[in-house]
Amino acid sequence: MALPHVFEASWPDPTKLGADSKSAAILLNEAKETFAGHLKVRSDEISFLGEPSLGFHLGISGLISPDSRLVFSNIDRMEVFAVADFLSPKIPNHQIQVSQTGQADFQVLSPTDVAVLQLCNRETGTIWRQQTLNCEAIFVDATASGVRLPLPENWSTALWDSTSWAGPSGLGILAISKKAKWENPLPHLDNRANPGPTSLPLIVSSALAIDSWVADEKNLADKIGALNLEIRKFISENIPDSDLAPHGADHLISASFLYINAEQLVTVLADKGFAVDSGSACNATNMQPSHVLAALGLLTQGNIRLTIHHATTFEDVKTFLETLKATIEELRK
Amino acid sequence: METLDCLGKRCPLPVIELARKISREDIGYKINLLSDDPASAPDLVAWARMTGNSVLRLSQNSFEITKLAN
Repeated sequence: MALPHVFEASWPDPTKLGADSKSAAILLNEAKETFAGHLKVRSDEISFLGEPSLGFHLGISGLISPDSRLVFSNIDRMEVFAVADFLSPKIPNHQIQVSQTGQADFQVLSPTDVAVLQLCNRETGTIWRQQTLNCEAIFVDATASGVRLPLPENWSTALWDSTSWAGPSGLGILAISKKAKWENPLPHLDNRANPGPTSLPLIVSSALAIDSWVADEKNLADKIGALNLEIRKFISENIPDSDLAPHGADHLISASFLYINAEQLVTVLADKGFAVDSGSACNATNMQPSHVLAALGLLTQGNIRLTIHHATTFEDVKTFLETLKATIEELRK
Repeated sequence: METLDCLGKRCPLPVIELARKISREDIGYKINLLSDDPASAPDLVAWARMTGNSVLRLSQNSFEITKLAN
């Protein structure tokens, strides 16, 4: 469906009576079914959030009971730390220090704990590899993994970000398992997770995006894997004093370069047409180095984070790598 | 032991100045680096791992560096 038509068809309130509302309700339900199919949850477990980061509070705090302890890792998103801090007067928490390869050892869990499980780290691509977690409830952070990794069997709540399947920004998807004991931690009038309504055009656009992303991924996953290896090989062989995060998810690469100011590096690369992010302190609003890089023992200065998209070509990568090498040589002078 | 005062200098300057300073010294050379930049603690450890040198954190803003490799 073309985007202008989505806006036309989706302005009515899907909960009201009338033909227009009915067709909006059909669009909403179709979108829910699409997400449910790809994310492997039930459609009635899905809530849409206009503010994806709010899902950390809803998903975690909603699982807490008075005798809970919150267990998370030191490479979790800052939003998780904020929720732990917010709950801490009443609920104790435990932060697991990950291993050098980014694995959190959840052996510390006790049966009444609520665990935060990050399937993939959005900075380094680190993938969680352990199989079972024994605890009361599990919040799954799937914001970076998107459709790439399955939920663990005993998940309670899970959060996705529409941008992970190249959908529109400003849309989060929160799934609350029918088996979970979840209570809305926000002031609320009914049992909905968000006071709503969330933008129906965004939801429909994102459903179209996830469909085409999944179809493309089947054909392009191998190319992205090959590009990842190519980038790693080039950097380790051709750029001295570089520090690559261990290979995790194929679409993410984190590389740091000694003696480089990341802000300068990112700016020069942007001028040359390459949009890359950075976890270095000089590039952060709070002037703190990335807690993820520090936790993994990786260099935080001169850091860049690369995302390989479906549309990225070998040509793009070749040009980028030559530009990167030349820029680093120039900046190191 | 000599001291290299990098207080007030932001990343990556402390590591750059340290590398420049010890490049002129012999193996076994020790220096005390002062830095209050939040990136210095993780980055000195990573620098030592990548370049084969040694770093020992003496206090919040003070690091003892030993040159072990050229």
